Amino acid sequence: MAKKYGMIHDNNLCIGCQACSIACRSENEIPESVYRLQVWVKEEEYPNGTIGYEYHRQSCVQCENTPCVGVCPTKASHITEEGIVLVDVDLCVGCLYCVAACPYQARYVHPVTKAPDKCTFCHDTRLARGEEPACVTVCPTDALIFGDLNDPKSKINQALSSRVTYREKEKLGTNPKMFIVPNHKGGINS
Amino acid sequence: MNQIWGSIEQYNTVVWHWPIAVYLFLAGLSAGAIISAIVIKWMKGNDVSPSDGIIKAGSILAPVTIGAGLLLLITDLTRPLHFWKLLIHYNFGSVMTLGVLALFAYFPVVILFFMGVFKKELFETGPLQFLAPLANLALAYAKLIESVTLILAVGVGAYTGFLLSAMNSYPLFNTPVLPALFLVSGVSAGISANLVVGLLFFKSSTKDGNVSYLHGLDVKVSFVELFFLFILFVGMFYQGGSAAHVAHAALSTGGLSTLLWLGVIGLGLVLPIGLNFALPHGVKHSHGFVIFNSLIVLIGVMSLRYYILYAGQVFVG
Repeated sequence: MAKKYGMIHDNNLCIGCQACSIACRSENEIPESVYRLQVWVKEEEYPNGTIGYEYHRQSCVQCENTPCVGVCPTKASHITEEGIVLVDVDLCVGCLYCVAACPYQARYVHPVTKAPDKCTFCHDTRLARGEEPACVTVCPTDALIFGDLNDPKSKINQALSSRVTYREKEKLGTNPKMFIVPNHKGGINS
Repeated sequence: MNQIWGSIEQYNTVVWHWPIAVYLFLAGLSAGAIISAIVIKWMKGNDVSPSDGIIKAGSILAPVTIGAGLLLLITDLTRPLHFWKLLIHYNFGSVMTLGVLALFAYFPVVILFFMGVFKKELFETGPLQFLAPLANLALAYAKLIESVTLILAVGVGAYTGFLLSAMNSYPLFNTPVLPALFLVSGVSAGISANLVVGLLFFKSSTKDGNVSYLHGLDVKVSFVELFFLFILFVGMFYQGGSAAHVAHAALSTGGLSTLLWLGVIGLGLVLPIGLNFALPHGVKHSHGFVIFNSLIVLIGVMSLRYYILYAGQVFVG
């Protein structure tokens, strides 16, 4: 069976340090004005009265049912056998249909190629060398877990079986392969 | 949600800007112009009609507006020099590909229709005489070409709506009534544009049966358009949740809602309908009023495209 790559972002472990974002920019040579990945923060007041912070990973969630691929008129936006959504710059005309169709605002126009660009799980570089994506490797708290969802013994499947997770905008039926562990301090525990 | 580091400019939700709204308007107008010209041609019989001003207007407007629209669309691509890839790479699941294919067939047939209509003026003598066989072909197969054109025009008019409604990330776009609304308002724009061009440039008179017929049809089509707009918002309120919030915001917030109430509904729909009920027969069938009425309808339809495109992207729940 082909691999099916997915990722977990654990909200309890993330400290908003931005190492992932910097690593992504460095690894993928992202131009100054744009971002494949950002981590946003939201202040939360928990039931016990304390203040805490929720961290949100803003990047492509690698949908299984991909709105961006569905609308692309030239098949420049496509999904690999391993479930990674990519853009073939050669085929792209820059209609921005995919940018509009993405419910996760994951795509931006690359200032040099003028084609939409996005997180690829470091498909061409680190994955091709058998390594994990840059953001996962550099995370100091192991808040990011990456791996093959089709391998029952993989780290990601073990984490998924032991932690409560959700996916964003599940009602849209996009089936993201980015799983989020919600903050325990909010009252959810597993 | 606040960013911790970096610019959030790329997360601006408006992806498609005004050129797309103008394209959607021109494509709808083109389809509406050819649809109403063919309807008139069929009403009057194929032999007498090519000299009719409304049919001439439609036969010119349809190719010119779709051509201008497509040019605008291509220049608006972020990689305009790569546009030809749209013509050889297809994704049959994409509304845009289906639109490209519809336009592929639509453009030649509206040009053929034009050549048939203007055969005497343009292709019997003079430098374009070498195209006469093509114009003769257009006339010989007029009924077939017109039938095909009519179907393709409905496709072009509706696809612009499907283009937006295919995106489930935008509640205002993602409604089944949008393609119907765009088709109907496109027909309305086409009728109005035919009336303006026919009356101003082709010596049509408001005494012509087809001018008053089209003028009357425009009012009826405006009713349908108003009803579809009503269905759009009521449907969103019935969906509840974020769709209802979006509908509420889109109807009541900022300059866009003002554009809807004053431009689309007030100027473009209620004023023409009201005037056509209130004014005496002599006035509403006067040359000046028909042109005025057509112009406000055109402004209304353009406002509708602009409003839907921007409100859909701005109000996302």
